[in-house]
Amino acid sequence: MRFVLRGLTWGALGYLGGGPGLAALVRWLGGPAWRLETVLTVGYPFALAGWLAGIGLWDAWARGWFGLAVRPVHAPGWRRYFTFCTDHKVIGLQYLVTFVGLFLLAGAMALLMRVELAWPGRSVVGPAAFNQIMSLHGIVMIAVAVAVVLGGLGNYLVPLMIGAPDMAFPRVNALSYWLVPPVALLLLGAQLVGGFNTGWTAYPPLSEINPAGQALFILAVVTFGLSSILGGINFVVTIARLRAPGMTWGRLPIFVWSVFAASLLSFTFTQYLAAALLMVLLDRQVGMAFFHFARQGTPLLYQHVFWFYSHPAVYIMILPAFGVALEVIAHSARTPLYAYRWAVGGFLGIVGLSPLVWAHHMFTSGMREGLHAPFLVTTEAISVPTGLVFLSALGTLWRGRLWLRTPMLFAGVGFLWNFLIGGLTGIFNADVATDLHLHDTYFVVSHFHYTIVGGEIFALFAALYYWFPKLTGRMYHERLGRLHFWWIFLAYNATFLPMFWLGLHGMNRRIGDYPPALAGVNLFVSVAAFLLGAGVLAAVASLGQAWVRGQRAAANPWQATTLEWQVPSPPPEHNFPAPPQVVGPPYPYGQPGLRHAVMPAAGGDR
Amino acid sequence: MPLTDRWLALGLWVVLSAAGIAAARIDFFPPAGAREAQVADAAFRLLMRLAAPVFALVVTVLVVALARRRGHGDPPPDAVVGPEHPAVPRAWFGLTAALAAYVIYNPGLVGIHEMRGDPQADVVVRVDATSWYWEVTYPESGVRSREVVLPAGRRVRVEITSRDVLHSFWIPAFRTKVDAVPGLRTVLLVTPTTVATSETHHAYRLQCAELCGTGHDTMRATVRVVDEATFRRWLQEQRRTARPGRP
Repeated sequence: MRFVLRGLTWGALGYLGGGPGLAALVRWLGGPAWRLETVLTVGYPFALAGWLAGIGLWDAWARGWFGLAVRPVHAPGWRRYFTFCTDHKVIGLQYLVTFVGLFLLAGAMALLMRVELAWPGRSVVGPAAFNQIMSLHGIVMIAVAVAVVLGGLGNYLVPLMIGAPDMAFPRVNALSYWLVPPVALLLLGAQLVGGFNTGWTAYPPLSEINPAGQALFILAVVTFGLSSILGGINFVVTIARLRAPGMTWGRLPIFVWSVFAASLLSFTFTQYLAAALLMVLLDRQVGMAFFHFARQGTPLLYQHVFWFYSHPAVYIMILPAFGVALEVIAHSARTPLYAYRWAVGGFLGIVGLSPLVWAHHMFTSGMREGLHAPFLVTTEAISVPTGLVFLSALGTLWRGRLWLRTPMLFAGVGFLWNFLIGGLTGIFNADVATDLHLHDTYFVVSHFHYTIVGGEIFALFAALYYWFPKLTGRMYHERLGRLHFWWIFLAYNATFLPMFWLGLHGMNRRIGDYPPALAGVNLFVSVAAFLLGAGVLAAVASLGQAWVRGQRAAANPWQATTLEWQVPSPPPEHNFPAPPQVVGPPYPYGQPGLRHAVMPAAGGDR
Repeated sequence: MPLTDRWLALGLWVVLSAAGIAAARIDFFPPAGAREAQVADAAFRLLMRLAAPVFALVVTVLVVALARRRGHGDPPPDAVVGPEHPAVPRAWFGLTAALAAYVIYNPGLVGIHEMRGDPQADVVVRVDATSWYWEVTYPESGVRSREVVLPAGRRVRVEITSRDVLHSFWIPAFRTKVDAVPGLRTVLLVTPTTVATSETHHAYRLQCAELCGTGHDTMRATVRVVDEATFRRWLQEQRRTARPGRP
């Protein structure tokens, strides 16, 4: 905790010096007085630098550059989770715990919205507060969706699964994580200076005329983007360069492929979001006119640049979830993953097509109508590589013999069912004739919740249960796990299926009030949402309890073949005593004579 | 897998697909008040019919897999499977590509063409959006109004702009919308078909559909679709009652 406190102190000092300090200096030199928003913005880079230096960058990294002795920043035991620790397993758990916490927080905001929406008219929160809560829910959940599987499970598992001692750039990895707390502080702190009310999309002109909270939103998203880019580069280099001997590309576990594909997207496209938002910031604060129509700017330009990142972003979220689902299905079905190379082709096909589809978010935006057809074509085409992922999952289920434990329920039943609905309804949104009506309605709200919550978050749960013994060294409660699955699965579908009907019948999104004729279904959705919230809370609480008090788990309770299960649970600090020798495909179930890897003896000679 | 299981699976898939295709015939839409609404609803139904066999296939495999599960206890023995037949993924790829190509053609490109319809319009209506209300102008007669009055059976060209932030012009019963963008005049072409009003069904309301700030959810206006004669009469009345000298 010492380093966290020092980081906060140095950060606060940086903010005071960089913001009010510089403002006073400019004033003293005869310059103009600064608005609060400008003070907040200019101070932020200094605050960020102070925070990072304080948390450990100075001791563990920068001192070496200046020829000083590097000081250790590691604390023993649980305290190392609060330090600048470069162990990928510590960083993975930091990501997981942080983002599961944020997921619960933003979920609570969703429930608050559902209270307001349970009845027509205004009941609990006013319209301004509703828009703020909705926007905060949106951006926090986007951050959770980008980082919880990729940052959490990716960091923990990728080095283990490829037989590496750590990530390629361990200190950059720690930096990626420690960039996250300022993001959370900025988003919550923004509420003190008026909040932001533009949803997570921050479309101008609204995002250029609203309170100063919007500027902090922009700084938060840009910071988070930096973390995402650094993480993406780290994964790509790690997977390309640190594979164990014999771990060819064709022998990589499918989850590693999915992380590789998502990382290609995250470090290639995140900067477009940062660019779009920084242009908004410049419009707001120094009178530029990128998007300001009265000064010959074009509001539509923002949407193009924004979606140029933000559509690939949904694949940054969902690709690792595909990987988790296929991974868990193959191990549970006790058979090789069907059509493995086609599934990898599907991932790469999605990577290739995802930057060509962005304007399907803009069919009603007023952009030139000639653009409708090409973006309809590319968007419908992306269903073909996505179909290959389904081919792989279904073929594995068809040929296998299911060992129906909790992870398999979440990955096989939950993920496949929910993502099927999310994917098929996406076709209705990609089709211009239907989308002109459905765009910006609850049909879309339900569609993207089916893909991201029904898809990715169900995959997250599959992963949490599947790798729970590896992460914690303990076993979760199997009966409770199955109970929680059915509870969450049924409540989830009861919450989101009716939303398709609501959208079709004229309920637009991002509203706190609606026509009274839609009241009954909305009340049903609100009740189901609370059941869903209770189920998620119960599952997380039960996992937390098992983490502390669960039965000790064996190193490989699933008798699984991949490398992460061939080391103790939890794994030792440097993962493998010596590099394992990979000699075969990742899922050689029922294939006599084939095995994935030969493990070195402890302290072995190679 | 035993042959009878395969036939059972095939039977389940056929039944589920047929059920999905039949479900597309149910009228679960809000009132369709324009030619464009009929196009959109027909496209929706077609997509449902095309999606039904895909949905049924995944559900069938899930049901088969669950029916043959090995329980929750100790790990079962590995499934012994033969080599993969290379024709299966190729056929899958070909079939899904063909299905996607068909969806692109119809309702995709066909739908765009039908939705756009005739670019010629009989009536022009200008709509100015401001946070958080709508102003409607009929430039041919100089009439201004806070409600949208449209003639049934005539093609209407709605020209939309905004005075401040983004808004979106949406009448759910018409199944189409377009954003109001400051500095840009966007166009919505629509042919209302039925005499109706938002006072009797909410799907006929004009609703802002693009987040525009505090008043977004209640940024609505009354819509009345009336017959041609009533429309002319209403325009004349409006012109008469408008104060002289007002722009």
